[in-house]
Amino acid sequence: MPQVMIELANVTKIYGRGEKRVVALDNVSLKINKGEIFGIIGLSGAGKSTLIRCMNKLEVPQAGTITIAGQEITKLKGKELRETRRKIGMIFQHFNLLSSRTVYGNIAFPLEIAGVKRSEIKERVLSLIELVGLSDKISAYPAELSGGQKQRVGIARALANNPEVLLCDEATSALDPETTKSILGLLQDVNQRFNLTIVLITHQMNVIKDICDTVAVIEDGRIVEQGPVVELFARPRTPTARRFMKSVLPTEVPAEIKERALKLDKNWPGKTVRISFIGEVAGEPVISSLIRKFQVDVNIIYANLDYIKNIPFGSLIIDLMGEGPKIEAAMQYLEDLGLKLEVLNGVEPTA
Amino acid sequence: MVWNLLLKALGETLYMVGFSLVLSAFFGIPLGIILVITEPRHIKPAPLIHKLLSTVINIGRSLPFIILLVAIIPFTRLVVGTSIGTTGAIVPLTVSAIPFVARVVESALLEIDRGVIEAAQAMGATTIQIITKVMIPEAVPGLILGLTMVAVSLIGYSAMAGAIGGGGLGDLSIRYGYQRFRGDIMFLTVVILVAIVQGLQSFGSWLAARLNRR
Repeated sequence: MPQVMIELANVTKIYGRGEKRVVALDNVSLKINKGEIFGIIGLSGAGKSTLIRCMNKLEVPQAGTITIAGQEITKLKGKELRETRRKIGMIFQHFNLLSSRTVYGNIAFPLEIAGVKRSEIKERVLSLIELVGLSDKISAYPAELSGGQKQRVGIARALANNPEVLLCDEATSALDPETTKSILGLLQDVNQRFNLTIVLITHQMNVIKDICDTVAVIEDGRIVEQGPVVELFARPRTPTARRFMKSVLPTEVPAEIKERALKLDKNWPGKTVRISFIGEVAGEPVISSLIRKFQVDVNIIYANLDYIKNIPFGSLIIDLMGEGPKIEAAMQYLEDLGLKLEVLNGVEPTA
Repeated sequence: MVWNLLLKALGETLYMVGFSLVLSAFFGIPLGIILVITEPRHIKPAPLIHKLLSTVINIGRSLPFIILLVAIIPFTRLVVGTSIGTTGAIVPLTVSAIPFVARVVESALLEIDRGVIEAAQAMGATTIQIITKVMIPEAVPGLILGLTMVAVSLIGYSAMAGAIGGGGLGDLSIRYGYQRFRGDIMFLTVVILVAIVQGLQSFGSWLAARLNRR
């Protein structure tokens, strides 16, 4: 049984009142396990930012409880709250570094606040700077750094007090794709190295796909879907989830193929079939089995393959040609393998 | 003779402006900080204190200096034991500059990126730590420019100190340059005042730019 690190129970947050009343979080419940990278994805205005800000009480929910590492943070105040916050690191979309301090000074800041001794601060800061790969920028001011370097300082700063949880508020949204990859790599590295629980919110599906173990989809202040990332990709239940998926997987069928499928006669004995697959089956010699076992001809029209957390995922469009019963048997065989089949003859394939 | 007069007046001006600048900063900076942190969505929201302080500051700012100068004579006597002379002028100069400083500090502190303050809160910083380690260091360039502005204004106000025998360059130019038709003295005091203001502003701008890391 994995240990639960963060638990939200029936959290509700409302802004304003009367006509301006906006329900930002509507009865949200979540469990986040220790050591996992938990992604929360939603469009802007869905409430994801409010959700993560409630986790360290930067926003105070009107109802519900939030427990982190056994501490009910929603109940804490004053000194207790400040001490608990030191165990919850946070990084931001716009980095929020102190412009008046150097890289060294920024990373030392949370340690100064916690009252750590000067000699210990130095040792700790130097090892953190090395961890995030900024040893040559130690005396630089934030204005002299690139976005990716600033976020590295942000990460080092967030890790200074050895937190148990790292909250990432759109941490890569202001970065270019290349830099995003390197920052995600660093997050994954610290997650594994320190068994650190990471909660990240994003509107970028590739962030979820690249590093998250578990994902929650938030829409209008509600969690509409939640589970392992691979599951979401395999079986998205909501239109929102499907839309996010589309943004990272080339599941969109090229227009030429759509047209070709539409023109096919429904009575044609051959079938154009789309096969969606996930997991091990992608490694099996399915096509050659089809040909050998059922004596059908197979013509591959379109294929794509991608990996989510090392699990292959993709779809294939083929023409099956041969005698009717043999085609039926071949399709049955594919379904028995756990593949999702869709006959495209005369229909326009949806994404 | 003329040079002695000018030198003495220059000394008086610097004495009045210097003391009242330091004193008004001493009282005005904390007021400006309180004004900012008590704002509705800031780190220590207190609408009542905010409104009250803001109103008092506005009243202070709305009094013309020449009126304030004479209106607070009893208070001046209470504080420094005299209501006349150069020392007597420091009190009204300070009193008039405090609300000015408070507003200048307010605008400098409001310039700071809220995200940085929020990051400090998320790290578990206390209110005092946020003020001393985040807000003030981040606002240093703005604070320097603001205080330079206050100093220049104080030089202007100090010219009116002559009304209570405060002396200084402004007083000299009125008494000698204007009332005794000494065009040369008028001219020289104006030149010196212009030079002081220019020098002060250049120094303030230079220092602010130098300390600006943004």
